[in-house]
Amino acid sequence: MNTVDVQQLKSGEVNLGTSIMAVQFEGGVVVGADSRTTTGSYIANRVTDKLTYVHDRIYCCRSGSAADTQAVADIVHYYLQTFTQFIGRPPTVHIAAETFQQLCYENKDALSAGIIVAGWDKENGPSVYNIPLGGGLFRQPWAIGGSGSTYVYGYCDATYRDGWGRDETIEFVKNTLALAMSRDGSSGGVIRMAVITEDGVERLFVPGNELPKFWEGHEVLPTVASVGPPPPVVPMVVE
Amino acid sequence: MSIMEYNGGSVIAMVGKDCVAIASDLRLGNQALTVATNFEKIFPVTDRIYIGLPGLATDVTTLRERFRYRVNMYTIKESRTIEPSTFAHLVSSTLYERRFGPYFIEPIIAGLERNPATGELSPYIAGADLIGCLNFAKDFVVAGTASDKLFGVAEGLWEPGLEPEDLFETISQTLLNAVDRDAYSGWGAIVHVITKDKVISRTLKGRMD
Amino acid sequence: MAVAAAAQTGFDFSSASRNAYLAERGVKLPNATSTGTTIVGCLFQDGIVLGADTRATAGPIVADKNCEKIHYVTESIRCCGAGTAADTEFVTALISSNMELHALSTGRKPRVVTAMTMLKQHLFRYQGHVGAALVLGGVDSTGAHLFTIHPHGSTDKLPYVTMGSGSLAAMAVFESKWQPNLSRQAAIDLVAEAIAAGIFNDLGSGSNIDVCVIAPEKTDMLRNYIMPNERVQKEKTYGFRRGTTAWTAEKIRSLIINEEVTQVGNEAMDTS
Repeated sequence: MNTVDVQQLKSGEVNLGTSIMAVQFEGGVVVGADSRTTTGSYIANRVTDKLTYVHDRIYCCRSGSAADTQAVADIVHYYLQTFTQFIGRPPTVHIAAETFQQLCYENKDALSAGIIVAGWDKENGPSVYNIPLGGGLFRQPWAIGGSGSTYVYGYCDATYRDGWGRDETIEFVKNTLALAMSRDGSSGGVIRMAVITEDGVERLFVPGNELPKFWEGHEVLPTVASVGPPPPVVPMVVE
Repeated sequence: MSIMEYNGGSVIAMVGKDCVAIASDLRLGNQALTVATNFEKIFPVTDRIYIGLPGLATDVTTLRERFRYRVNMYTIKESRTIEPSTFAHLVSSTLYERRFGPYFIEPIIAGLERNPATGELSPYIAGADLIGCLNFAKDFVVAGTASDKLFGVAEGLWEPGLEPEDLFETISQTLLNAVDRDAYSGWGAIVHVITKDKVISRTLKGRMD
Repeated sequence: MAVAAAAQTGFDFSSASRNAYLAERGVKLPNATSTGTTIVGCLFQDGIVLGADTRATAGPIVADKNCEKIHYVTESIRCCGAGTAADTEFVTALISSNMELHALSTGRKPRVVTAMTMLKQHLFRYQGHVGAALVLGGVDSTGAHLFTIHPHGSTDKLPYVTMGSGSLAAMAVFESKWQPNLSRQAAIDLVAEAIAAGIFNDLGSGSNIDVCVIAPEKTDMLRNYIMPNERVQKEKTYGFRRGTTAWTAEKIRSLIINEEVTQVGNEAMDTS
């Protein structure tokens, strides 16, 4: 192999298999994520919080290497604190996203980090930025990411409508993540969400046994009961 | 091939009653070819500390000189001789400094430690891996190409409270019998028994094949 | 040059090229001591209980039967280490020393998150090459905290954690029995049971159970809290008769300095 596979994790590295999502609506954004962290096939953390605070009204959703995304988020958090002190006002979501983008692009060979930045600011209101693996920066009305996202692009394309309110957006995020988590083995656990508006950040939590359910199939083969009672057990004949 | 097998050699240290012993074989090889049968791997550090350096011969020499330098500097700066436990940490940090390009040496340290309050001397042995992870054992430590065999024999033969002369027999028999089953060690051996008033060094008769 | 050498800190890579050349020629590196290890930690009503087994291995060989894996960071912060033994030893010692300096310069008792951040940043810098997998626990002004830190520098904060090769066995115990607000003794028992699960089911773990209880008022390091694998007394001794070993040369270095004082002249010193 000659090319560097940026998706390749270092051996033994902790992975955020992940389904993450962010959607903007009229007054704010909803960010959401599953809670599974894996090392190989072992779930290292089943209640992970992948929604990471970087400023008062800006959160990021992390996917890829846990170490890389935590390190990047820590740096951005530090930078935005410094920014606020020097400039005297909170940073815009765009500034936060640009900072992430710069780190992800300039260190693209060393990082495996797919990050969604979302939040609310005075200039632009709610906004969602997607920073996929190579370090691009894309503003989108909604963004999904992580290994689980591949299963639900179609669902999102078919379902999303402009002009939703808060509650509809929450339902959309919850349903999308539940669908992604049910198909993706590296995603699962609980759904964590955050609603970011001008007024504040509201954290929402859906336990694993209360996830929205969809069609889950039915038994194709006849059930045991319909086959009739099993034949009586006959003791083995011993001569 | 493992780098330890390039020159071969093994070292063992054991605790006795108010004494310690450290012993090594005398072979220097170039892989399967025996080059010398008088290659000592154990060096005095102070009157009451000896260090064994099995592994790559070039690093044996380099490390012996580095430790000599660093112990001399310690002695001058502190105006006192170094204690075994301090020296063990000196060895450990010297090795860990080269965590990503290590010396191919697994040192064994044996000595008598002076209690600063009572002035009593108590046995001290320690081993380290090639990147300086210390192993403080209460019974024995082994290293080198015959380490697997030494572990087994020592586990069977060692017992607590051996007098210097008995410790000499136990460590000698352990070493001799272990290196007889190791192609890369042997060709004679040397044993140092450190007691509170003397160090007895004996060259052993061993198989020369 | 001498000044530069004195100021130099960190790792020395000068043999790295030599060793890379040897590795290229197919020379294998000796096994560094690793702690196959079961290490755990859990929250209880007053603080944190940490636990560890005491086996160190070098490949298939048990290198140390009773090593210490619960490392001191500060009086009320301790850290269990798994992975490359030298790395766990040195990384905790480094952070312990930096925490002491930090406490001295701020005049406050240091926090667990501070230790966690220092550890994760150090490990991230070395991109997993410093192979330390840690369980960090402690009590500070903000309460009791428990973290796992992976070799690449990622961290998790959980009420009960396990790491090392025996982590699956230990986690099975925690997942079935841990509950919030355990009493001190119940937490110690649970941790001991989790470590025992590692010792008896994982080959990389063995020997004894070390426990450390960190509560706001004091920290108790319970070294060898349970010793379920003690060696029984040998039935017979294998002492050799003196003179068994044939030797060819002997050199005795006397450590007693004999001093003979010879009086020159016999008049007492005039001290008047």
